[in-house]
Amino acid sequence: MLSTGELKKQAAKIRATCVQMAFDARESHLSSALSCTDLLAVLYGGFLRGTAEKSNLGRDRFIMSKGHGCSALYAAMAAYDIISPSLLKEYSRTDGALPNHPCRHALKELEISSGSLGHGLGIAAGMLYGMRLSGNTDSRAVVLMSDGECNEGSVWEAAMFAAAQKFGNLLAVIDHNGSQAVGTCSVIMGDTSLEEKFRSFGWHAVTIRGNDIAAVKTAFEQLPAGNNKPAAVIAKTIPGSGVSFMEKNIEWFYRSPSAEDLKNALAEIGAEPLG
Amino acid sequence: MRRAFSDTLLKIAEKNDKIVFLTGDLGYKVFDDFIAKFPGRYINTGVAEAQLINTAVGLALEGYRPIAYSIAPFATARPFEQIRFGVAYHKLPVMIVGAGGGFTYAKSGVTHHAPDDLALLGILPDMTIVSPGGPDELRMLMPELLKLKGPSYLRVGKYGEPELNHPSPVELGKGRCLRAGKRIAIITSGDIVCDIYPKMNIFLSAGLDPALYHFHTIKPVDRSIFPEIEKNCSTAVIVEESIPQGGIYREICEWKAETNSKLKILRSGAPDAFILGSPSREELRTRLGLTAAALKDLCLQEFRIAK
Repeated sequence: MLSTGELKKQAAKIRATCVQMAFDARESHLSSALSCTDLLAVLYGGFLRGTAEKSNLGRDRFIMSKGHGCSALYAAMAAYDIISPSLLKEYSRTDGALPNHPCRHALKELEISSGSLGHGLGIAAGMLYGMRLSGNTDSRAVVLMSDGECNEGSVWEAAMFAAAQKFGNLLAVIDHNGSQAVGTCSVIMGDTSLEEKFRSFGWHAVTIRGNDIAAVKTAFEQLPAGNNKPAAVIAKTIPGSGVSFMEKNIEWFYRSPSAEDLKNALAEIGAEPLG
Repeated sequence: MRRAFSDTLLKIAEKNDKIVFLTGDLGYKVFDDFIAKFPGRYINTGVAEAQLINTAVGLALEGYRPIAYSIAPFATARPFEQIRFGVAYHKLPVMIVGAGGGFTYAKSGVTHHAPDDLALLGILPDMTIVSPGGPDELRMLMPELLKLKGPSYLRVGKYGEPELNHPSPVELGKGRCLRAGKRIAIITSGDIVCDIYPKMNIFLSAGLDPALYHFHTIKPVDRSIFPEIEKNCSTAVIVEESIPQGGIYREICEWKAETNSKLKILRSGAPDAFILGSPSREELRTRLGLTAAALKDLCLQEFRIAK
């Protein structure tokens, strides 16, 4: 695992790249991309093992189930040399490798496509079953999800199944930014605790500050090893995190930055975009 | 046919250790032999059809050949999004098995009817769809489906259908001519052929000489047979437990539209309505005109008009 300082630098690079990509492609979803940049920075910064090598059967499987935040995924993959930074200019381009929802047919480095919510966790559990049949109980499956995604019933079908199968090597990271497409999660689906929900489904669950690199790093490092419960890290994050005028403003779920927005955002982030 | 399915499953699994069988908590006692022999390769995902399919997707991504089984509406309509996204979009070799397709479970009511399974899965790209006539067709076609690189749907009937026992070859993707005839062609898909084929005498005694074609593979359909039908017949009567948006009816209508064929197409199938109440399958087939006697009347009527 990289040091906290190094991880912070990587997170800043990923953030800056997200804003640049959204500007270049006239795309949106920055709220959701920026809220999970710190999580991705730490996951790829040493937590995930062998993820870059698709031919390595012993790799950890990483699934970006919240596909709408994929500019952060692409930027993180570039920041950690899983894809070439030169590929970033293909974001959202017709026939490019980086469509505006991840597609495995376009980018072979992905475990699965995403864009429709509520699938990643269940598919990860299926992958773990397959790995176990193949005698691989060391690899982990890590799924980055959104809190709005947890509205989907299929998430809870997967949660039941994973607990029943005792998949201790399954980790769900919930980007709990409190915001979904048309409002606030707690208003739409009730002001209840995701941590308690997962725990009552038989999971190990913790809630952390998800835009605090040190806290994220510690949480991942301190996950219980060798037990047979799947784990959920509920990461409380800020939509649009890292760019003050984008934070907690649902507009940035839909808006693309102007040239001035880009300039101001990059100045605030204090890092150069990749690519 | 259900027994043919579980026997074939066991045989294939003995030879291929990548076969994993998943059920959405259905098939009481049907798979006991499989469970005893391959406990690790049997997964009951519970009454959770989204997870049934998503588990299969994950297994396929890890190189396995999952077979996901449930009663037809719960294997198709219920987890349609999981099939569309996980299975079809990713082009994975997952076999979905709908037990009791069509009106097999007529008596159980609307929730258990699946006249729409062929239509629903038929709209998904690269999905191979097979609705076998008799247990013999299932035994021959299921191993072929498990060799495909992409997804498939197998509609399985109930217990006790007779063998079709016809000498024509059974090949995936190929239609079968069960009887040559003149003017009218009866075209079946699925297990209804087991009811029609042994009763061809009903047509002969009425002075009719219809051809009988059977399509176990709905998609990709064997289009090469349609011109043959057109050459010998002026009218085709499609009989199948399917809504018109799926099954052979949809396929032949598409072909007719594309080729400007003059073949007249009639249909005996499921209506655009929920079937309420608790009719037996036989009662329902009679009501919907899905019997040899009803088809004979339809043909006679057509014959008189054609004359």
